[in-house]
Amino acid sequence: MSRSYLFIPGNVPRMLQNMDIYEADALIIDWEDSISINEKDEARDLTNAYLKKMSPSQDLYIRINSEPGLYDEDLNLIKTLNITGVVLPKSDVSTLKKLTEDLKNTSLKIIALIESPHAFFELEKIAEIDCVEALFLGGEDLSSALGAKREALGEALMFARSKIIMAAKAYHKKCIDTPWPTNNESDFYIDLNLSVKLGFDSKACIHPNQVLPINEAFSPSKLIIKEAKKIIAMHKKTGKMRFSLDGKMIDKPIIMRAQSLIKKAIQYNIIKGENDDL
Amino acid sequence: MIYKSVEDVFNAFDIKNGATLSFHHHLRNGDEVMNQVLKTCLDLDLKNMNLAPSGIFPVHKNLAKMIEEKRVNHLTCNYLNGPSYEAINQSLLQGTFTMHSHGGRARAIKEKDLTIDVAFIAVSACDEKGNATGLEGNNIMGSLGYAIEDSLHAKTVILVTDTILQSINCPQIKSEQVDGVLLLESIGDSKGIVSGTLKITKDPLGLKIARDTMKLLSATNMIQNGVSFQSGAGGISLAITKMFNDYLKHKNLKASFYTGGITSHHVQALKEGLVETLYDVQCFDLDAINSLKDNDNHLFMSAHDYANPNNPDRKIKDLDIVILGATEVDLEFNVNVTTDALNRVMGGSGGHSDTSEDAFLTVIVSPLLKGRMPLIKDKVTTITTEGQFVDVIVTERGISVNPKRKDLLDLLKHSDLNIMSINALQEMAHTLSGKPKPLKRSNDVIGQIENRHGKIIDYLYKKE
Repeated sequence: MSRSYLFIPGNVPRMLQNMDIYEADALIIDWEDSISINEKDEARDLTNAYLKKMSPSQDLYIRINSEPGLYDEDLNLIKTLNITGVVLPKSDVSTLKKLTEDLKNTSLKIIALIESPHAFFELEKIAEIDCVEALFLGGEDLSSALGAKREALGEALMFARSKIIMAAKAYHKKCIDTPWPTNNESDFYIDLNLSVKLGFDSKACIHPNQVLPINEAFSPSKLIIKEAKKIIAMHKKTGKMRFSLDGKMIDKPIIMRAQSLIKKAIQYNIIKGENDDL
Repeated sequence: MIYKSVEDVFNAFDIKNGATLSFHHHLRNGDEVMNQVLKTCLDLDLKNMNLAPSGIFPVHKNLAKMIEEKRVNHLTCNYLNGPSYEAINQSLLQGTFTMHSHGGRARAIKEKDLTIDVAFIAVSACDEKGNATGLEGNNIMGSLGYAIEDSLHAKTVILVTDTILQSINCPQIKSEQVDGVLLLESIGDSKGIVSGTLKITKDPLGLKIARDTMKLLSATNMIQNGVSFQSGAGGISLAITKMFNDYLKHKNLKASFYTGGITSHHVQALKEGLVETLYDVQCFDLDAINSLKDNDNHLFMSAHDYANPNNPDRKIKDLDIVILGATEVDLEFNVNVTTDALNRVMGGSGGHSDTSEDAFLTVIVSPLLKGRMPLIKDKVTTITTEGQFVDVIVTERGISVNPKRKDLLDLLKHSDLNIMSINALQEMAHTLSGKPKPLKRSNDVIGQIENRHGKIIDYLYKKE
């Protein structure tokens, strides 16, 4: 499970070259909005050249173009690259079904970028599609489409965020929150805290300096890990799925949550193993 | 005696062809003193002059002119940036161009390897007797650390100022050493002392290097109560200084001293009680100057007290950690901060080789690729600091420990840090950038690099 998704423009050599060092859990090379129409070929060529030499250890996605023509050229190259999957902008049921069909002989995963009002009326159907591994809120395009003003407190996107989280959780898909678009640190932290509180699994960003705060915010805290370890230890000791611990009733969902939390803590290198001291 | 023009001083002290004149660089790129003195040399048609400024900056256009007109015999400095290099590169110097370190210059002056006839010492204020400071006046510059040996050992000492006060509180240079005061309309612009960026880097790559450096320092267990620390004024160094301060605060520790060039980030640590004492040889900003003026634990020191290798009480002898930059590093851990990728002089040791030799742990921080040029060469273009004194290279892609530091390698064996051989680090850079063709250079020597003990360790070659 990735906590952070870092966007890297596909036509900037220095950024491509260094994208693997910023400690993001997943990387998204962008061929869409950050690349002007006359630089699309350059972005494809640079990405192709880079991936022939380097293979980052992180999950690697490419945000392709959805416009006919560009879409086809992107897919032709995508199928030859060693990547994790594709981010489809302006996703809806029909475009996702087409992409699923176009990628049927590959193992590429799909992240559905939800950024049009129309997509929200078919969100459940989008979440149902097998190849879709995550729902990703595209906050900037959606705000523009709605005529809403996006601010750190997040009122403009509250409904959209909640709906995406509901749909993703209902269909066991990951949900990724939209990037905070400016370098204003205090606004970024307000926006990030909101992402965590609402229940997103992860957040995307466009600036590498936002990666570590995102990773930290989506990592279990040491206190929570300690509690989870106590729960698992008691469960192992008693062999029971229901018991009392420090005055609280513990049952199956809580034990399972504790187990998944410890798994995350190991994955994120916070602890080395279940018995590791904090 | 107060003189009103440079020419009056030249007449009074009989400054003639062949004299050796010295200057300091505390006003850095805001200095006008060297320009004004050299203008008089030009006006008086003086030749065969030997010049010993501690630093040369782009502002020093009259020095370039002096060299172009073949009026300069020997030239020494610890740092060179600006148009004077072009004239040196055209072999227009009549004698030898020698680059020292800060400690090496202090040693050379004290031991008379470098004999100065007249030291022109810019001071922001002095009294009529010749007591001087860098802390008051129109163009404050803070510590006068690099000028002290000149004031003690030059045959004639001339203070150059634009502010004369009734008296000077705690003078950095005392009247006993001074032969005259030259009062000019202006000695320059103290805004020019601002060195480099002086801002913590926001570059994510630089911040990654800074974070990894802190992880390294933490893994060595060297950050304990009483630790001593020096870092430069570059963006990555400043980021490390801030992280170092945060680490001390978080762990409730206190450093014994910070030394070298002082910035607002060092001052902040002193204010917050994170460090006992600042030993200041050079102020890099206004906060540092004000702190030197007001804080009893912010102490001025001379280059001799700072780094003279033959001074058993030099401060950096007790330095635990120094963080330094690099233009190039080679497989023997030699470091170049003197010439750029095209073999042009654009810097110099300053305190680089002094602190590297003395500190217990010398850490070089730099991006692995600078543009498309790999940091690590087979051989550096110019050796500024010898590899035997360099312990660790930290880049964004990995950390190399000098194999001679087996103690460090053992200590870091079980850390999460990405430790690799310097050859592996070089190969990684070549994978990204390709291996650059070696730079063609002529065999014409235009200068020499002297280490702090006076030994020539490398030569500067003419750029074709």
